[in-house]
Amino acid sequence: MRVEREIGIRAPRETVWDFLWDVPRLAACIPGAKEVRTVEDGKRYAAVVGERVGPFRVEFPLEIEVLEVEPPARLRARAGGRDRSVDGLVKVDLDVALTVVEDGTALRILAEIAVLGKLGTLGHSVIVRKGIEIIDRFAGAVRSHLEAKGS
Amino acid sequence: MLRPFELCEPASVAEASELLLRHGEAARIYAGGTELILAMKEGLIHYDYLVNVKTVPGLAGVRLDADGSLRIGAATPHRVLERDPSVSERFPAIARMEADVANVRVREVGTLGGNLCFAEPHADPGALLQVFDATVRLERKGGARTIPLERLFVGPFETCLEGDELLTEIVVPPLAPRSAAVYLKFGFLERPSVGVGVAVTLADGHVADARIAVGSVGPVPRRMRDAEARLQDRPVADSEAALAEAGRIAARASDAITDLHGSAEYKEHLVGVLLRRAFQAALAAVAGSERR
Repeated sequence: MRVEREIGIRAPRETVWDFLWDVPRLAACIPGAKEVRTVEDGKRYAAVVGERVGPFRVEFPLEIEVLEVEPPARLRARAGGRDRSVDGLVKVDLDVALTVVEDGTALRILAEIAVLGKLGTLGHSVIVRKGIEIIDRFAGAVRSHLEAKGS
Repeated sequence: MLRPFELCEPASVAEASELLLRHGEAARIYAGGTELILAMKEGLIHYDYLVNVKTVPGLAGVRLDADGSLRIGAATPHRVLERDPSVSERFPAIARMEADVANVRVREVGTLGGNLCFAEPHADPGALLQVFDATVRLERKGGARTIPLERLFVGPFETCLEGDELLTEIVVPPLAPRSAAVYLKFGFLERPSVGVGVAVTLADGHVADARIAVGSVGPVPRRMRDAEARLQDRPVADSEAALAEAGRIAARASDAITDLHGSAEYKEHLVGVLLRRAFQAALAAVAGSERR
């Protein structure tokens, strides 16, 4: 399942790029993220992302591996993890691009989300929808964070 | 494996509400369990207490009001609705929809109230009942409220029920004379991928009222009022072009996503196709009832 989102941020590209590598501040923009830590600076990170869907609660300990970096324009990363209580596996391939536009920076997020295991067969659409919602909320939070700081 | 839980058997709605209040998030209503027990078995969810409402006197059953409204007790199994003569005679679309819910084992134990309250997005009744402007009665110890069914659904697996509230009754008003309702669905997995409910009322060769609801596609079943407006007050004879436009509007508004049930584009296409077929079938049903 492929999700593509693009939002404009009224901030210079370098500022947005630096923000992407500021782990604590970036983590604050990811809904449901906790225990975010750096395993190997610039290469590997870990986080636990938990979300609730009605009565269901899933929690994924994710390992995030940075695959490719082209400062300050593009980064590719892969995140994956297995739910602690349910037999579910989530894999996310992320491709983040920053381009200079007239009034700041365009942030484009391309995510390929895969939900496998029991969770995938039972609640695929719900998990995918939640994934899209997380990306939307994340992008919005990054924008308000950077624009609030700039103004 | 199913972890142990305690089955509570309250004797009244007030007692059930009290149990919900006492046990909070550790308790859930059991109203057939065809979805709940499955999710519990899979370990997706766990409750220490299940509050069985199937044995609460007065919560199951179907009756017609003096004004022709159908009053359905929340714990009424699908199978009863499928076979009840007053339902098939006065609300044939509901009887037909119920006869095609999941499979006979589910219909025998699963209840209408349970289906609505579990709020699994891929379900049939929530969409069709909305074109009847159905309302639901929610009760708790010491209070009750009645709300339109469409307001019950908040999100996938989420309703507006308060912690100690129970759905006790679904009230389905009759359609006006010269009306018919039709529900069509399509799916290739166990659950529907797309469901479209339509109700049409005719007067003087015009569409006096058109109601459309789409289920399974988005996070919750929804009325498509912008699409309805395209058909409203149109001469029946030239409803065909408006129907295509209404289909496009409903498809866009259906909030489809790509998942195991198909791509968003595919589901949007199906919304249009099923809407057209359901509308035409409803027109034919009105004409058929007038010939009789």
